[in-house]
Amino acid sequence: MSTPNATTPSGSPAAALVRTVIGLAMMAGGFYLSQHAEEIPFLAFQKALGEKGVPLDLGITTATIGVFLVLLPIIRVFYIKPLEEAILERNTQLERTFSEAEELRAEMARLRSEYEERIAQTEAEARAQIQQQIREAQQMRQQLMAEAAERAEELLARAREDIERERQKVLAELQLRVVDLSLSAAEKVVGASLDDEQNRRLVTEFIQKVEAAG
Amino acid sequence: MGEIVGNGLPLLAAGGAEGKHAVSFLGVFFFLAIVLAIIFGALGIARKGYSSRVFTNRPAMLAEQLYLFLEAMCVSIIGAHGRKYVTFIGTLWLVIFVGNLVALFLAFSPTANLSFNLGMALLAVGYVQVEGVRANGLIGHLAHFAGPRLGGLLAVLVSPVIFAIEVVSEIMKNVSLSLRLYGNIFGGHEAVVAMNQLGERALIPVGEFLLPIKLLTVVVQALIFTLLTCVYLSLVTHHEEEHAEGHATAHA
Repeated sequence: MSTPNATTPSGSPAAALVRTVIGLAMMAGGFYLSQHAEEIPFLAFQKALGEKGVPLDLGITTATIGVFLVLLPIIRVFYIKPLEEAILERNTQLERTFSEAEELRAEMARLRSEYEERIAQTEAEARAQIQQQIREAQQMRQQLMAEAAERAEELLARAREDIERERQKVLAELQLRVVDLSLSAAEKVVGASLDDEQNRRLVTEFIQKVEAAG
Repeated sequence: MGEIVGNGLPLLAAGGAEGKHAVSFLGVFFFLAIVLAIIFGALGIARKGYSSRVFTNRPAMLAEQLYLFLEAMCVSIIGAHGRKYVTFIGTLWLVIFVGNLVALFLAFSPTANLSFNLGMALLAVGYVQVEGVRANGLIGHLAHFAGPRLGGLLAVLVSPVIFAIEVVSEIMKNVSLSLRLYGNIFGGHEAVVAMNQLGERALIPVGEFLLPIKLLTVVVQALIFTLLTCVYLSLVTHHEEEHAEGHATAHA
């Protein structure tokens, strides 16, 4: 696409004004030359050329140059310059749009990179937190297991103590009962009542001996 | 007024010394005013469509295409610095093209006048000389006419001959530019008139069958005149670009 150039043959407004004045003077001079061609000696050749079928009028030629000197800055201002400005503005807008699009693309890439980085970071954090929770849970489990085992041991020991105590108690009761039954049986055999306290002591000693032997 | 209205045709000068189809000063500039009115009318309509976006107005699009065409012509022939000649080349192109178009429909056109064409040619060649002096300096520009730099006796014997030939060549550029345009446009008119006379008895305007060729001439002649001006500008200003390139290389 073209890029209009500010440098033109029209140059500065002052130069254009000078050219316009020269152009107007040439137009007036050309008109004079055309109207008084026959009176001016060095234009006599025009008549000879005209007779040979070459219609030359240097007055028209001079005025034509003058017209173009006036016309050039007008065409420049009226046609070329506004068009150049419009094209330049359009190109500038296009370049700006492309630049903005490029910036947006870069921004989008940056955001995407940040987003991906943040996602990766979040994932890493989540993974670390999960690992931490798992570790804590495992520790808690082990602790609970240890506590439960300790508690169970404690309960078991207490149960054993209770059982032992109950067994001793039952054994003692059983022992008393056996003594009573033995005495009752002996009374029935002997037919006489024995000294209660003494008999009881003898039977108990006997049972203990039996237990020790058994 | 007698000079403006004569020979039964408006704005045509009386015959005699200037030939039967000679046109008076005011006649030429009356038709030139028509040409300029058409140019500025069209450009005025086109101008309304100028905007910072892509033009959707058809005349504005045409004006832009014309500008791009002229710019491409200037840049491709003259070089990168040719863009600054678009105004000059564009003005010549517009006047010649519209002048030639007017010649298709009206009895006369400024481009059918040798004096008018000579004025344009003198302006073009004169402008080329000014740009040549601006690009190479007065001595450099004159030395340009002497051809390649020769040494010893050759410089004394050959260079002045080349210089004289080149000066005559420059003068003849005016003649060739103006006569070519004049011959084609005025000749086209004459051919149509002559051929119409052939079919006059049968009431057939035979000459009008030349219209397609004349339409082609309209475009081609505007193109040739401006193209040659670009070539002349290129010949005298190409040193400027080489110089700039040399500077760029030196700086690099």
